[in-house]
Amino acid sequence: MKSGFGLDLARPSRRHWLGYLLLAPAVLLIGLIIIYPLIVSVDISFQNVNIARLDQPRRPFTTANYERLFSSPDFWNASWITLKLVVIVSLFCFLLGLGTALLVNNKFKGQAFARLLVALPWAVPEVIAVVIFAWMFDSSFGLMNWVFIKLGFIDTTVNWFSSPVAAFAVVCVTMIWKGYPFVSIMMLAGLQSIPDDFYNAARVDGANAWQRLVNITIPSLMPVLGVTLILVMLWVFRDFSIIYVMTGGGPLKATQTLSIMTYEQAFGFFKMGYASAIGVVTLIVCVIASRLMIGRAPDNI
Amino acid sequence: MAGIHIENVTKSYGQLSVLKNFSLEVSDGEFVVFVGPSGCGKSTMLKILAGLEEASSGTIRIGGRDVTDLAPGDRDIAMVFQNYALYPHLTVRKNMGFGLKMRGTDPTEIDKRVTEAAKILGVDHLLDRRPKALSGGQRQRVALGRAIVREPQAFLMDEPLSNLDAKLRVHTRAEISALHKRLGVTTIYVTHDQIEAMTMADRIVIMKDGAIQQIADPDTMFKKPANLFVAGFIGSPGMNFLRATVNTNGPSPAARIFGYDVPLRIPQSFAGREVILGLRPEHIAAGPGAVTFDVMPRLVESLGSEKYVYVDVPVENRVEAARTGGDERRADTIIARLINPDERVTEGPIKLSFDPARLHLFDATTQASIE
Ligand SMILES: Nc1ncnc2c1ncn2[C@@H]1O[C@H](COP(=O)(O)OP(=O)(O)O)[C@@H](O)[C@H]1O
Ligand SMILES: [Mg+2]
Repeated sequence: MKSGFGLDLARPSRRHWLGYLLLAPAVLLIGLIIIYPLIVSVDISFQNVNIARLDQPRRPFTTANYERLFSSPDFWNASWITLKLVVIVSLFCFLLGLGTALLVNNKFKGQAFARLLVALPWAVPEVIAVVIFAWMFDSSFGLMNWVFIKLGFIDTTVNWFSSPVAAFAVVCVTMIWKGYPFVSIMMLAGLQSIPDDFYNAARVDGANAWQRLVNITIPSLMPVLGVTLILVMLWVFRDFSIIYVMTGGGPLKATQTLSIMTYEQAFGFFKMGYASAIGVVTLIVCVIASRLMIGRAPDNI
Repeated sequence: MAGIHIENVTKSYGQLSVLKNFSLEVSDGEFVVFVGPSGCGKSTMLKILAGLEEASSGTIRIGGRDVTDLAPGDRDIAMVFQNYALYPHLTVRKNMGFGLKMRGTDPTEIDKRVTEAAKILGVDHLLDRRPKALSGGQRQRVALGRAIVREPQAFLMDEPLSNLDAKLRVHTRAEISALHKRLGVTTIYVTHDQIEAMTMADRIVIMKDGAIQQIADPDTMFKKPANLFVAGFIGSPGMNFLRATVNTNGPSPAARIFGYDVPLRIPQSFAGREVILGLRPEHIAAGPGAVTFDVMPRLVESLGSEKYVYVDVPVENRVEAARTGGDERRADTIIARLINPDERVTEGPIKLSFDPARLHLFDATTQASIE
């Protein structure tokens, strides 16, 4: 029997060492690419920095950025816009996503093609989606003005991107179009994991289609629903490219969300400290919101 | 409570014909078991009865009412599924009351009936748990409870015991039988296990490849199997089969097995015909008897109270495996089941005997029983 200092990782009492060992590179990498910038940005948000440079000495500690932030009407406006966008886009993504998932979950001819069609917007790069929608809502030769005039909803062409309400609506539509396929794909996966016999049992028990949806489908989807909802909300919360390319935050800051505002402060006005403060607040709100929602998720299944 | 009347029901999935002309009359309060190997169409027939599948043709009446084109919920039947299909997000109480709630029954009435059913099944202490916090046996009871609170005209059960371990299965089998006696509700029970069929059924419907082979009570099924398939399916270990040609060397028709001419009680006209003789393992005895033959056992298994003696079959008596309905047993061996054997049966040559009156005769080509 050798009682040396052999590193026998197969021993039950040592088995977890191997786990830590294997995790180490990933943890280091995450630390490097996520935690470090996070710390830097928190640090900067407490300094009066314009253009952040790591080789410069620290500025004195100050909470001026946060004071300015919370007293700025722009910040509250952006928060309100973000909240509206998150609620509206998530809601419609869910209705559309669940609806299309239920549709393509049925057996019919061309089902595979229909599924492909539903998932298509997901595969389109955001910037290209924006270009398509920007063209559709173009004031002089866009598709939507033509359709709405033909249908008699409006009598003169609407200039979508100069009216605050219309611009906000266009951004919503674009984001919903881009976001619902993800919900649809997740819901479809969830739907397919529900055993047929749940539905059979319910049918024998006399439940009609609506009762089956409410009593079986939705509760069975709850776990997937919760996670998907968080992911979609976070996506809307921090999405930048759609709004930036489409409206740049305008008109009259009607589509200026927190992420647009962060960008503008950082790279438009070069107020890195101030921008970092917005970023930190956004992060805190995101973390709290997702914690709340995971905590709320029913503990079935 | 009601009788069930199934008339000429067929079912095909495209080219595949799953049920062929299924007709059955189930009287009020009867316990009928559908039995057959996996894939023979038992579940399909049950689903058609429940209205979960559409029959390709034929009619179904429950309690005199034509339900062929009625939705499952309007047929007034309850079904127990193999994997129980309990809703994971609902408590046992809500699971059991689900059917009543869907029908808009008054909540106090639901509560009363659920409590009552839970008492009958001994799950009243589990009512506020979720299904995942129950054992297999408890889930099974809850599934039964969900069926009985509805007080339907008939119960349909699809292999409700197959997810239980062997011991619990025997126990629950007896409980379902007792429950049926107590409630007296017409029940159709599907299983692939012939022992369940034999112990529980008032009448057995034995199926193969979508066709009914025989409908009879368990005793008749055992004593007078209609064909080779039924004979091989019912009983454990299964019936031994021997191939022989009827000869008239002696005064009456006889078949030569194990080198002996065994007289058969059939008309002279059978001379020259090829037949299959069936002999149940328990009808072979140790020691001399009406027909005695000396054999060298290949293997002797002792189960304590009984011994299984495996004996090689002479080449001319072997039946091709396909004939015996896919029985996985080897066609070149027969089994003798000796009950309370004495110590003589060990290694070495032994004398076995049987009574020729116990022989079952089957036509080698049609496989039907010869009376
Ligand atoms: N939806 C379906 N489509 C095609 N074939 C099916 C379908 N359902 C069942 N079958 C076939 O029907 C036959 C009978 O199935 P089933 O009734 O489930 O058998 P079992 O007797 O084991 O319950 C099987 O061969 C099965 O493959
Ligand atoms: Mg089955």
